[in-house]
Amino acid sequence: MAKVTYVDHTGAAVEVDIEVGENVMRGALYNGIEGITGECGGGLSCATCHCYVDEAWTDAAGGPSSEAEAELLESAAAEVKSTSRLSCQLVVTEALDGLVVHMPEHQF
Amino acid sequence: MPIDAANPVPPVFPRHVGMDQVPAHVPPELIRQSGLTVGPDFLAGPHDFMAAMHEKQPPIYYDVSPMGNMWHLIKHEDALFGLRHPEVFSNEGATPFPRDPSDYFYFIPIEIDPPEHRKYRNIVDPVFSPQGVLRLEGQIRQRANDLLDAIEAKVEAGEGCEYTEDYGRPLPVSVFLDIMGLPQSMRDEFVEWAVQLLHSNSREAMGEAMQKITVYLKSAIAEKKANPDDGVVSRIAHAAPDGVPLSDKEIFGFVCFLFIGGLDTVFATMNNIWLYLAQNPEKLEEIHRRPDDIDKIVEELLRRWSVTFSGRVLEKDYEMRGVQMKKGDRVTFVLPACNFDPDVFPNPKEVDFDRPRKTILAFTVGVHSCMGAHLARLEVKIGLQEWLKRIPKFSVKPGTEIEYRPGGVIGPEHLPLVW
Repeated sequence: MAKVTYVDHTGAAVEVDIEVGENVMRGALYNGIEGITGECGGGLSCATCHCYVDEAWTDAAGGPSSEAEAELLESAAAEVKSTSRLSCQLVVTEALDGLVVHMPEHQF
Repeated sequence: MPIDAANPVPPVFPRHVGMDQVPAHVPPELIRQSGLTVGPDFLAGPHDFMAAMHEKQPPIYYDVSPMGNMWHLIKHEDALFGLRHPEVFSNEGATPFPRDPSDYFYFIPIEIDPPEHRKYRNIVDPVFSPQGVLRLEGQIRQRANDLLDAIEAKVEAGEGCEYTEDYGRPLPVSVFLDIMGLPQSMRDEFVEWAVQLLHSNSREAMGEAMQKITVYLKSAIAEKKANPDDGVVSRIAHAAPDGVPLSDKEIFGFVCFLFIGGLDTVFATMNNIWLYLAQNPEKLEEIHRRPDDIDKIVEELLRRWSVTFSGRVLEKDYEMRGVQMKKGDRVTFVLPACNFDPDVFPNPKEVDFDRPRKTILAFTVGVHSCMGAHLARLEVKIGLQEWLKRIPKFSVKPGTEIEYRPGGVIGPEHLPLVW
């Protein structure tokens, strides 16, 4: 298990435990966190699980994990920043225990 | 209104059929008899027909058809919006399969709107996630190769290959049985039931098929309740979200929906793709040359050859593009037409494996996005890879007339191939 904190656009934060190996999108869905939609289920086809990795975690989390993720991020509804990731591609590891992600106001 | 999934009741939305049942709020200039899914022009070439809708029809029109009158929406942008707003475009009562009104059930989760919807998806999402379906990869390759063995033997014996029966249908059905934890001995019977339910175009035959499916699935559920295993039927039968076990009707509606959703759509998709490849050997060559690009190849083929529609019912009066729709109106998002929207996919009929990545609508969008999308992608991918390893360049048997039958899932009925 690793702790991940989801911060919504108003600043409200929720911390949940997510199994190592699970991704941050699914962690949100299983815990009823509304800022992540994840409608395609992790198929890299919808860009509705957009999140911003907190500045303190960007080195550990890294940038887009594939060309497909980078390409699809461009169609995200909210502003894309250098810290943007699709949370379905952000897999929880021991090294990410304590990760903080910020969620945009809109996913589409 | 949120529905109570444990206490299903048949919907009360009126069903309008025919020109004399066009509601008064529909402007006469938006009434069409487009022939979508039923007319001769459609059946002569369904995907060409749906691509041409952008030239022939307004973005939103009211279609009058023997299958029921409803609004058709054909723009990609409108589908994204509508399908992502279940509070306007509801799924309740929008699924057209007949059910016994005295033993009514909901198809779960497709007929359940948020927030209840997520509770059901969480039960099966781990199995159907990209990582979950990858666990099936070896087994799918094995099933594909078993079928290819049989095809090679048939061709050697001079019997020829009828693609739909020899590969397009049995492959997804075998995979479905594996994932559900049902015996492979049921394969041919499942195919027959699915074809009768989805292709008979008679409400009576559909009802009969539904009856046979019901009897079988109820006994399978009972068996899994007594003897749990790691298949999906058992997973659903033993699910207890928030500690509350699902009711019998929920379990049945869920399992039954997976049966309907998981079979015919994949066969039709594969049948379309193989027909296209039989007619376009240069694309087949290109696929052979680019093995590392298989994922984007599959995605583009899914865009070009998507097979089905999303039906919804207006939950409230709503205006789009100046068109006033009313609560209770039925709506169909013509997903294949949306995948040909030239504003999003320029030169839309061209199969171009290097298109910029955009949201395709083969699996719909919104909360009701196809839960089997990753499985379907994997089946198409493996189906192609294993076929290409073993079967040389192929073409449609000379003299074959490709036929489509009316229905909500579009693919050629028969596809005899030669090589």
